[in-house]
Amino acid sequence: MTTTQAPDTAALTRKLYEEIERLGKGSETLARLATNQLNVPIGQTPRETIWTLNKLKLYHFYPQVPAEQRKPVPLLLVFALINRPDIFDLRPGNSFVEFMLRQGYEVYMLDWGRPGLEDAGYDFEDYALNFMGRAIRAMQRHSGTKTFSMVGWCIGAALTAIYAAMRPDDGLKNLVLLTAPLDFSDKAAGPFNKWLNTEHLNVDELVRQYGNVPGSVIDYGNKLLKPVENWVLSYLKLWDNLDNQAVVESWLAMNNWVSDPVDFPGAAYRQWIVEFYRENRLMAGTLQMQGRSVDLHNITASVLNVIADKDHIVPNCQSITAMEHFGSHDKLLLEMRGGHIGLMVGSGAHKRTWPAIDGWLAQRSG
Amino acid sequence: MSQNPSDGFDPNDPFGAWRSIRDANLDAWAKNLSGLAGTEQFAKALGMQLDGMLAASAPMQKAVHQYMESYLAQANMPSRGEVVSLASRMTSIELRLDDMQAQLDEILGAIRGLAAAAPPVSAPPKPRKVAPRERP
Repeated sequence: MTTTQAPDTAALTRKLYEEIERLGKGSETLARLATNQLNVPIGQTPRETIWTLNKLKLYHFYPQVPAEQRKPVPLLLVFALINRPDIFDLRPGNSFVEFMLRQGYEVYMLDWGRPGLEDAGYDFEDYALNFMGRAIRAMQRHSGTKTFSMVGWCIGAALTAIYAAMRPDDGLKNLVLLTAPLDFSDKAAGPFNKWLNTEHLNVDELVRQYGNVPGSVIDYGNKLLKPVENWVLSYLKLWDNLDNQAVVESWLAMNNWVSDPVDFPGAAYRQWIVEFYRENRLMAGTLQMQGRSVDLHNITASVLNVIADKDHIVPNCQSITAMEHFGSHDKLLLEMRGGHIGLMVGSGAHKRTWPAIDGWLAQRSG
Repeated sequence: MSQNPSDGFDPNDPFGAWRSIRDANLDAWAKNLSGLAGTEQFAKALGMQLDGMLAASAPMQKAVHQYMESYLAQANMPSRGEVVSLASRMTSIELRLDDMQAQLDEILGAIRGLAAAAPPVSAPPKPRKVAPRERP
């Protein structure tokens, strides 16, 4: 037998009133948003710039625990060449930097800056070895210790892996890779492999015309992977929560970061597409830098390789198979819940990813 | 058909019901479009779109570049290429300065280490004070 629940007029009126009230509050927030009165700054943890070179900056975050509680091995954070590294330090209460400072780490962060046309000729060798090598030297000088740990995220993970392979004796003790795109052998994995292949993308002409590939083009490509989520659902989430200050602020912080892409230096972009994506040279051992092959078997530092189960930008297979190439005796693959960015941002990151990284790193930072 | 709140439908909340329908629709769209993005046809279309854009902009870029080069030369101003070249040279100088600073720090560190390891040196004798001669 079927029954139909009759609508209750009082309850309906209450819901209607609630909705009107919500829209009222929301329109106020919307007006403030539209007139730029509501802005949520990101990267707020107090820091000092201890080194600069060209557009690069090395930040040192002021410690937040007494000296006797601090870990002796400093930690360097390296993000991708695209987008700002402030995602490591999104906003108070949702900042990996802040979390690690409270766990007693001496935290440094490398900012690649925004490349100009004069930087269009720099490739991965320049960024991983010439620039990052010098930044690490400056960090060692500042911290007074030779040993250090590194966290590399996305292309930053590829850069740190290259550094670890080429300079195994430089003092790197622990290497944490987050959503690392390293192995491109599976050509069916993810849309990027199809989009970026020789038949469809004329990478030489793109680089020739632009010099550096505009961040907006890279951002467009990333958003195109999930068009409805990025261009519709994201804004609907804001619309539905206009009366919720915490959600609005969180959305704005993320939006500030997402809508501030950085150009990809031309030579590095070309190398990324041709030598990494198409020819998979890093895994094949045919990637040449400073006259030598980049061999991941040379990595001696302990490795924590973190992948995200819902990563649509770097499919898991691009990170997992690299494990057998690392020469380290101490290496661990860790699968966490989340997407490419959600892995390290938000309440899930706070509860799961950050403590997991800290738990692994703390045992090796004595 | 029976309907009760446990089915996710609340007859007293038309807005909630509308949102549920909207979200279900958008989820379906999201899955379909994400799937489409992974197809060979989409990759081909994307490539063609980019090729078209590059082909259209190339002659215009060339013309603007040539015009600006000659204009800047006439105005006795450096071209973009010259500024870029200058900036590259500055980066090279910065790299060398950075290396020099690192070497200097190493040398200073070594000197400090040597100074700390060396035995303390006794202070040299103080010069005797000589009373000034009185003039006759």
